Amino acid sequence: MKAHYHSIETFGTVDGPGIRYVLFLAGCNLGCTFCHNPDTWVQGKQTISVQEVLADIVKYRTFYDTSGGGITISGGEPLLQADFVAALLAACQGLTINTAIDTAGFVPRKNIDTVLPFVNQVLFSLKSATSSVHQTLTCTGNEAIIANLFYIAEQVPLTLRYVVIPGINDSPEEITELAELVQALPKSIPIDLLPYHSMGRSKWEALGMSYRLAQVPPALPEDIQRVKNILTALGISTL
Amino acid sequence: MNAWQGFQHGNWQERIDVRNFIQLNYEPYHGDGSFLCSPSNKTSVLWSKCRTLLAEEHAKGGVLSVDPDTVSTITSHRPGYIEKDIEVIVGLQTDTALKRSVIVNSGVRMTEQACEAYGYTLNPRISDTYHNHRITHNSAVFQVYTDEMRLARKVGIITGLPDAYGRGRIIGDYRRVALYGVDRLIAAKQSDYQKLAEQAMIEAVIQSREELALQLKALEELAAMAKSYGFDITQPANTATEAAQWLYFAYLAAIKEQNGAAMSIGRISTFLDIYLARDLKNGIIDESGAQEIIDQLVIKLRLARHLRTPEYNELFAGDPLWVTEAIGGMGEDGRTLVTKSSFRILHTLYNLGPAPEPNLTVLWSTQLPPEFKQFCAQVSIDTSAIQYESDDIMRPIYGDDYAIACCVSAMKLGQQMQFFGARANLAKALLMAINGGRDERSGLQVGPQLAVPPEEYLDYELVRKNYSQVLSWLAGLYVNTLNIIHCMHDKYAYEAAQMALHDSQVERLMAFGVAGLSVAVDSLSAIRYGKVRAIRNESGIATGFDTTGEYPCFGNNDARVDALASELTAEFISELRKHPAYRNAQHTLSVLTITSNVMYGKKTGATPDGRLAGEAFAPGANPMHGRDKKGALAALSSITVISYDHCRDGISYTFSIVPESLGKTAIARRNNLIALLDGYAKRQGHHINVNVFDRKILEDAMAHPEKYPQLTIRVSGYAVNFIKLSPKHQQEVLKRTIYQVI
Repeated sequence: MKAHYHSIETFGTVDGPGIRYVLFLAGCNLGCTFCHNPDTWVQGKQTISVQEVLADIVKYRTFYDTSGGGITISGGEPLLQADFVAALLAACQGLTINTAIDTAGFVPRKNIDTVLPFVNQVLFSLKSATSSVHQTLTCTGNEAIIANLFYIAEQVPLTLRYVVIPGINDSPEEITELAELVQALPKSIPIDLLPYHSMGRSKWEALGMSYRLAQVPPALPEDIQRVKNILTALGISTL
Repeated sequence: MNAWQGFQHGNWQERIDVRNFIQLNYEPYHGDGSFLCSPSNKTSVLWSKCRTLLAEEHAKGGVLSVDPDTVSTITSHRPGYIEKDIEVIVGLQTDTALKRSVIVNSGVRMTEQACEAYGYTLNPRISDTYHNHRITHNSAVFQVYTDEMRLARKVGIITGLPDAYGRGRIIGDYRRVALYGVDRLIAAKQSDYQKLAEQAMIEAVIQSREELALQLKALEELAAMAKSYGFDITQPANTATEAAQWLYFAYLAAIKEQNGAAMSIGRISTFLDIYLARDLKNGIIDESGAQEIIDQLVIKLRLARHLRTPEYNELFAGDPLWVTEAIGGMGEDGRTLVTKSSFRILHTLYNLGPAPEPNLTVLWSTQLPPEFKQFCAQVSIDTSAIQYESDDIMRPIYGDDYAIACCVSAMKLGQQMQFFGARANLAKALLMAINGGRDERSGLQVGPQLAVPPEEYLDYELVRKNYSQVLSWLAGLYVNTLNIIHCMHDKYAYEAAQMALHDSQVERLMAFGVAGLSVAVDSLSAIRYGKVRAIRNESGIATGFDTTGEYPCFGNNDARVDALASELTAEFISELRKHPAYRNAQHTLSVLTITSNVMYGKKTGATPDGRLAGEAFAPGANPMHGRDKKGALAALSSITVISYDHCRDGISYTFSIVPESLGKTAIARRNNLIALLDGYAKRQGHHINVNVFDRKILEDAMAHPEKYPQLTIRVSGYAVNFIKLSPKHQQEVLKRTIYQVI
């Protein structure tokens, strides 16, 4: 079985615990305006098989094992190639390699069901807790995504990732909305705040696409701290 | 007090054997760094004075002052102090700090040029003496060089050779002076000298007798120099302060006598720890006092200087001396050689702030105590000032009392020395294989005459066959050239003080090197797996290449190309071994360029891998900039394909990363770095430079991108190679702190 993929990072240290083998699959359907990997939206010609990934990852196992790391499948949207991801992660678990996926959750429920049994943890990237804001940042409102968030959170350890975009999704109202959403989840989960940066912009230009957030400044430490303070006050833990 | 009181008795008392002393007396330390002290008042005041001097030195273009009137010898200058009352360890190369002396044995023209470069004139009497009445190493070598050697040197196929400067890379066992005192060392050398009297006076014996006589004289001078500072080092050191002082005097004698390229200090911290532990136990010092001794010794090492020409600086940028100290490692009996003083010496990077010297080198083993690993990783992240070398692959070869000369050259302390040999340019050699043995820049026939590949597109088999012929020729020329250099260096610029601190029956290594390995390997891969069209000028020299098709590049853990790196190094060392080395030295090979990768690149035309003419090579064994696309572990894995058995003089890899890309939290960063180092050691990796960059480094990377081949800004799910961003974008990144950007 083969998947469309974008690239491989053998020394991933920011997408889950420890040192991780990060496989970036190609193909995404959410169209986020702030995406820093627009070059992963289209599936392209580059493919890789489960066997090829396994043969590659075992070369680095000593690093992943000693650091408490494993494999993370990111993208693109990994759950769009659910059969491949399930097969790969099942095989990894068979080799006792810790597994994670980095998803935005905008996929049919059956895709989630296919993959979830083989996932040790989910990094769930939510763009906005308010559907209208979500609609401006992506191609859709957030109702289906939030339903999926609840569905996954019930079953697997989950970290919520939230890109803080100054002036767009970091107002006190927005963050309070986010906190209420997290409190409503069946289990207590932490939030990983990611500062928005504009380094993906050159990729948009290279792809001949216009970058709609051109006027938005990157998030500063004080922006992150402000959001963190609101969340902490509301009893939500941040990484 | 008896100098050896409280020490465990053993063989070390009967013969010169520092290792035996260490093994019987050191205390392995398994704790953390919480016992460490901040600098004493004396140290703070002294270092503040030094920092002012260092700033003045920088402001004056890199050289504070020169004494052009006195040839430096062990006893040439009267005692020098910075501020005597607060100096716990004393001794300067000249009468004031950072004033550079002239050492002329290695070459008088170089000395004259170096003086002129900084606004001085070498005393005419010194010029006259060395031009007309004495032979220098440099003039001797050039008298004997063949036309072919001169040509090879000129076009840069073998370059950076120590034929006009001191060869360095020799490490005296400076600890011997502290443990035994000079008198005992003189007695031992006298006995060796007398033993030779019984032998037939053939050339080798005569040479040894002469060298022992020089060594004896150097030991006498060492004692005299110490005496001028008011110390009697003829006897063993009684205290830790004395041990550090005795040892430093011995090192000072070495750098007063020799301006070798790399002048390591050896492996002193665990040795000194024995003295520090005894003084602590006896209440002579407290922890603050112990740290003070180490801090003050390190201050002195940071002030060591040699006068160089601007051309030399082009080769080795940044005024380095490579005062390399090997720290930690494991003993052959399984006990760790980490002591509290391993922590103390690393702690100088906090007490005195980060600095490149002394060149602190951690001998890494997967078996090191976890607390020490954590401490090292934190120091790396905070200062970027440590390099790591695998004790696990060196210990089986060199035992557990070796040190590192320069950057990566292991040798048994006091038992082995090295004939340093700079490096051959493997990328240029490949171009010769494509150009019929001619140099691609000058068009001169330098190598063997070979058939020029007739087809427009290069045929791998033919190029590879030609390449072997070039390498075979190059190896012979290289060995012969080094034989001349080292014969003349022994004759006219002998390192008497350093060799006096070796066993008389010393083992000799001859250290060859290669530059441009990844360029050569990627070029071969392009020819083999892609399509390379040579664009030739009217004389048939390929001045450019049109490379198409997909081909694997070194640094992605792809066996097709990585095997070429292993194959080339194996082939080159085996070719070198076919030619006997001076004084039966054992041939070794390094993949190390330090900063000379820029200069080697400058002298090399365009290569089939798409590298443009004059473009810098990657440093050491690194993949070429930006061609390693699968992250650090894939790059590390490619490096480990190069066998240490073929490259016993070291395989250097430079790893650069921004803190955020090591992990999200301080603990994660530390743990990930430890896992990286452990994994690399398990994979038989030899050396790794760890750079964890801050903003200042990024600024430097903008000006000198070739120094930062893989500086990666890694964020969640996204990575970008910093040097690939447009200058404008780099500027934008720089305006904010890294944290802000990430």
